[in-house]
Amino acid sequence: MQFGIFTVSDITQDPTTGRTPSEAERIQSTLTIAKHAEEVGLDVFALGEHHNPPFWSSSPTTTLAYIAGQTSTLQLSTATTLITTNDPVKLAEDYAMLQHVSGGRADLMLGRGNTGPVYPWFGKDIRQGLPIAIESYELLHRLWREDVVDWEGKFRTPLQGFTATPRPLDGVPPFVWHGSIRTPEVAEQAAFYGDGFFANHIFWPASHTQRMIALYRQRYEHHGHGTAAQAIVGLGGQVFMRKNSQDAVNEFRPYFDNAPVYGHGPSMEEFTQQTPLTVGSPQEVIDRTLGFRDYVGDYQRQLWLIDHAGLPLKTVLEQLDLLGEEVVPVLRREFAKDRPADVPDAPTHARLVQAKYGDAAPRQATPNANRGDNLTLGSPYQDGTTAPVGAASTGSAFGPAATRTAGAR
Amino acid sequence: MTTRKIVVISAGLSTPSSSRQLADRLLADSANLLQERGVEVEAKVFELRDLAHDITNHLLMGFAPPKLEEVLDAVASADGLIVVTPIFTTSYAGLFKSFIDVIDPQALTDLPVLIGATGGTPRHSLAIDYAIRPLFTYLHAIPVTTGVFAATSDWGGGDGVRSLPDRIFRGATEFADLVERTDRSEMVSDPFALDRPMGHLLGGLAGE
Repeated sequence: MQFGIFTVSDITQDPTTGRTPSEAERIQSTLTIAKHAEEVGLDVFALGEHHNPPFWSSSPTTTLAYIAGQTSTLQLSTATTLITTNDPVKLAEDYAMLQHVSGGRADLMLGRGNTGPVYPWFGKDIRQGLPIAIESYELLHRLWREDVVDWEGKFRTPLQGFTATPRPLDGVPPFVWHGSIRTPEVAEQAAFYGDGFFANHIFWPASHTQRMIALYRQRYEHHGHGTAAQAIVGLGGQVFMRKNSQDAVNEFRPYFDNAPVYGHGPSMEEFTQQTPLTVGSPQEVIDRTLGFRDYVGDYQRQLWLIDHAGLPLKTVLEQLDLLGEEVVPVLRREFAKDRPADVPDAPTHARLVQAKYGDAAPRQATPNANRGDNLTLGSPYQDGTTAPVGAASTGSAFGPAATRTAGAR
Repeated sequence: MTTRKIVVISAGLSTPSSSRQLADRLLADSANLLQERGVEVEAKVFELRDLAHDITNHLLMGFAPPKLEEVLDAVASADGLIVVTPIFTTSYAGLFKSFIDVIDPQALTDLPVLIGATGGTPRHSLAIDYAIRPLFTYLHAIPVTTGVFAATSDWGGGDGVRSLPDRIFRGATEFADLVERTDRSEMVSDPFALDRPMGHLLGGLAGE
């Protein structure tokens, strides 16, 4: 099981000091937080995507690539990548690149986004959010699996003979998680492709998460990827800890009361009761987190939000220390107990390569010399099928790709 | 014997409240009419005053605290809804609208609704038709044609030609007719149910 943190990249005033960090400061802080996550023994760092202040993370792969260069084991992910307003072609390219420069430590979590105006800013209609997400992911999925893609849809200009470069590392696409709070169609989408499903889990009652995960697991089995118990589940969580429970409550309260997401609404006590937010001692966090398994089953990835609402860097690093020293070692041990042998671990590049190739050498895509149209004689890659001599003159101008029927999934 | 579920929502803010009083009378007449026709009535009455903080928290957070969730579930699975709001500054009470705003937009489809309102003088009675009725038609509920407005004077002599009890009876009759015929509470949709599997979402590509 993987443990890690995720951030939404908010730049929020510290309500106890009145001070707001600059973009530059908060960006540097986040890089420090990510590096420290690896230092304390966490597995995953996931970064959100926003296109409006007070958030800074508009270009997640740039940031994650830098973090990849500064770390050696940390898995880099997103929370979430907008499958609605990003071009799936650019996503295919960006995340394949991140896979290469990080040595296979990249995956991503897709979401539709929650900021209305982002849709029109990127030329999309929010009412079409779900159909766009479905169509764009179908294209993204193909671009990582087929060297040459012909495609036509409703929400993007068509493609004829397009190759997304670089090809995924070792011929294995980045693992994809689909995130949704309460859209059953997204759980179905994740299940259909055999991808992971991530429940945001925070800010919402556990009953929502339970329903969504149950649906995802059931459909995962329906679509033939394994048993319901083998589906790949990730959960969000949100914690604030001090050795002494009451210290945590006192220190976090002003941040809770003024946080943009839940400030001036329910009391912290109501909120911790109704959602997975846990404010207290490391032992309380351990107990609460272990309880998640009771309603979602054995799962693969636990991410916590620990750096929002204006918490200063020093405090966030202390939270990481507590997670790394006191919480996660116990959780690793406890979650391993009674875990059925056939429940898979979290997908990593190494495991995906092993699953695809066994002991054989993975594919290393090597292009042929550029002939201008890249596919007149079949595949643009040396290990691709070579069309028989003469095929080019009898086929279409774009070669076999243009006459191929719907691609195999 | 068939059973019909009626939910009553009163947005009156004071205790005792004339909105609650009107709501109780609308329910009493409706229940009597249905029972006369052999229909058992299962009624739940809620006052929004008790839910005011939960409604605000729902607006801010996007999910219902447990007590409010119970009310929203009851409304969504009802066979009939009776609502009464005081008229403030020419329209429904703000708390009433906030409650309507946290109802799932699909939750009231085909739901028979009997609208009541209270106010200081009969001059506000049209607020039912220009302010409250459009909310329910927008949500694809079925508000009955008679809305019942109770001005302060109606609790005394009031309108000497068509008294408050007459109007209550007329509204309740229209409402009971619709409630008797619906089987809405037996076919409530589950917001987490998957009604469009992936093959359908992809335009039939997967053959589902």
